Amino acid sequence: MTTEFPYGETEGDERFWRNAQDGRLTFQRCDDCEFVRWPAAGVCPECLSRNSTWVPVEGRGTLWSNVVYHRAYAPAHKDEIPYPVGLVELDCGVRLVTRLVDVTPGVDAVGTRVSVKYTEIGQHGTVPAFGPA
Amino acid sequence: MGSTPPLGSVDGRVAIAAVGNTIQGEIPGISADELAVEALRITLAESGIDKNQIDGLITCKSYGGFGIDTEIGRLAGLNPAYSATLDYGTCNFSLHLACAVIQSGLASVVAIVYGTVQRSAGNRFTAPLGRQDEASVYGFLNVAGPAGMAFRRHQKLYGTTEADLGEIAVSQRKYAIANPLAIFQKPLTLEDYLNAPYLVEPLRRADLCMISDGGACMIVARADKARELSDRPVYVQGIAQQTGLRDRQNADQWLRPWIGRVADRIYPAAGIDRAAIDALYIQDPTSVWVMQMLEWYGFVEPGGVGEAFRNGDIGFGGSLPLNTNGGQLSEAYMWGFLHLCELVRQMRGEAGERQLDKIGTAQYCSTFGMMKAASTIFSAEAS
Repeated sequence: MTTEFPYGETEGDERFWRNAQDGRLTFQRCDDCEFVRWPAAGVCPECLSRNSTWVPVEGRGTLWSNVVYHRAYAPAHKDEIPYPVGLVELDCGVRLVTRLVDVTPGVDAVGTRVSVKYTEIGQHGTVPAFGPA
Repeated sequence: MGSTPPLGSVDGRVAIAAVGNTIQGEIPGISADELAVEALRITLAESGIDKNQIDGLITCKSYGGFGIDTEIGRLAGLNPAYSATLDYGTCNFSLHLACAVIQSGLASVVAIVYGTVQRSAGNRFTAPLGRQDEASVYGFLNVAGPAGMAFRRHQKLYGTTEADLGEIAVSQRKYAIANPLAIFQKPLTLEDYLNAPYLVEPLRRADLCMISDGGACMIVARADKARELSDRPVYVQGIAQQTGLRDRQNADQWLRPWIGRVADRIYPAAGIDRAAIDALYIQDPTSVWVMQMLEWYGFVEPGGVGEAFRNGDIGFGGSLPLNTNGGQLSEAYMWGFLHLCELVRQMRGEAGERQLDKIGTAQYCSTFGMMKAASTIFSAEAS
C-alpha cells in the first residue's frame, strides 16, 4: 500500500443513492484488502487504506430483524406510517438498514432470506428496499 | 510488593460525597447550562459543602451542544485545577473520568454537573443516532428503532414475549408511585401495557423514556476528602468499560454483546461476587436495554427476564431491587444521572418512602447508545 499526496477525497454516501436510481446496489470496496464497507468513508476500517472503488454487489442477504414505525419521528415520514424497516446482513458482509416490501413484519420474518427490490420514497426517488428472495 | 490489583480496581479510594438534582419535567425560561449550575447550587446547599472545595469540574456535552466545561465554569464562578467535557456524560462515564482524575492526582474534589432543556427545546430525537447514512431516508429514527429490532431478534432467538418485556416498565412504575420526583406516577398494569398502541412495533410508550428537562450533580472526591465533606460517603470499589465503536460493522451490534466484556471485568475489579449486589441500577432509555443488561451481567438467563420478575427474583418487591427511582422510563430522563442520585440516597438511608433494607453494595450499569458500556460497583463501607 502506498501513501501518496493528495490523499484522495473524503467520500460520502452520494454515490450509493445515485447508483440506486439506476437500479444498482453499490458499496465501496477497498482496493488493497477488498473489504466492502458501509457507511461510506474515505478510509478502509480494516487496513486503513484510502484507495477504494464503488462496486456493484449481489443484492441478497438475510433479514437480521425488523420493526414497524407507527409514529413519524420526522415530518417527512408522516404520510408513510405505518412503515416497516429492517436490517439486512448482505452476503457481501455489509449490514444495511432498509425498507421492507412484501414482507409480513414480525418475529417470523427474522432470519429469512431477502433480496433487493427498489421502491420510491418521497424526495429521495428510487431507493433500495428488500423483500422475499 | 503485593500482587497487581485487577484492572478497574478503585478499592474505596474514591467516593461520592454528595448528590443533588433540580425538579424534573418541563422547565421553561432557563438555559441548560444554568440548570446544570442550579443543580450544583442545590447539591452544595443540601450537603453544606463549600464551593471553594471544588478543584475539578466534569460536564457533559449533550444534544444541542450545551454543557461545555468552559461555559459552565464561568457561570458557576469556578477556576478548578482540572476541567473537562465528555461528549457522552451518561453518568458512569463522567464518574469513571472523575475516578481517573482523582487517582492520578489532577484534582481531589470533582463536581460532575449535567443540565438539559431538551423537552422545552422540542427535541424529540428525530435525527439518526450515530453515523447511519441511510437512517433518515428510511425513517429509522429514535432509539426505538435499534431497540425494537434487538427485541424482535431476541424473541426469535429465545422465545421472549412482549408480556415478558412489559414486566420491566410495570415494575419500575410501582417504584415511581412512591417517588415525588417521578414524572409518571399513574399505576401501570401489565394489561394496561399490552393494551397500549405500538410506537415502533414491538415497542410501546412505556418501553421508551420520555424526554424531560432537569439538572443533576454529584460531588466525587478522594476518600479522605470525601470523609471530610460527608459523614456518609458512598465508596467506589470497581469500574469497567467496553466500547463497540465499529457499530454495525460488528455482528449483532444491537444485541450489544460487548456489554459482556464489562460484566467479565466489573466483579473482579470490585473484588466482589455478583450475588453480593443488594440493589441494581440500569440506565433505561428503553426497557430493551434493561433486559439486555440483566442478561449480559448474568442476573437472568437469556430469555428469562419475564420469569425473573414474575418469580420475585428481580424488581419491585423482589429479592433484587432494580431501578428503585422508577428509572428513566417513569422518573425522568437525565441521561441516567438520577439512577446514581437514587443509589447514593438508598445507600445512605435517605430514600424516604422508597427506602429499602440496608444496602451495603450496589451496582450501576449504563450504556452510551449503541457505542459504549460501563459499570460501577459501590459500597457503604470503605473496604
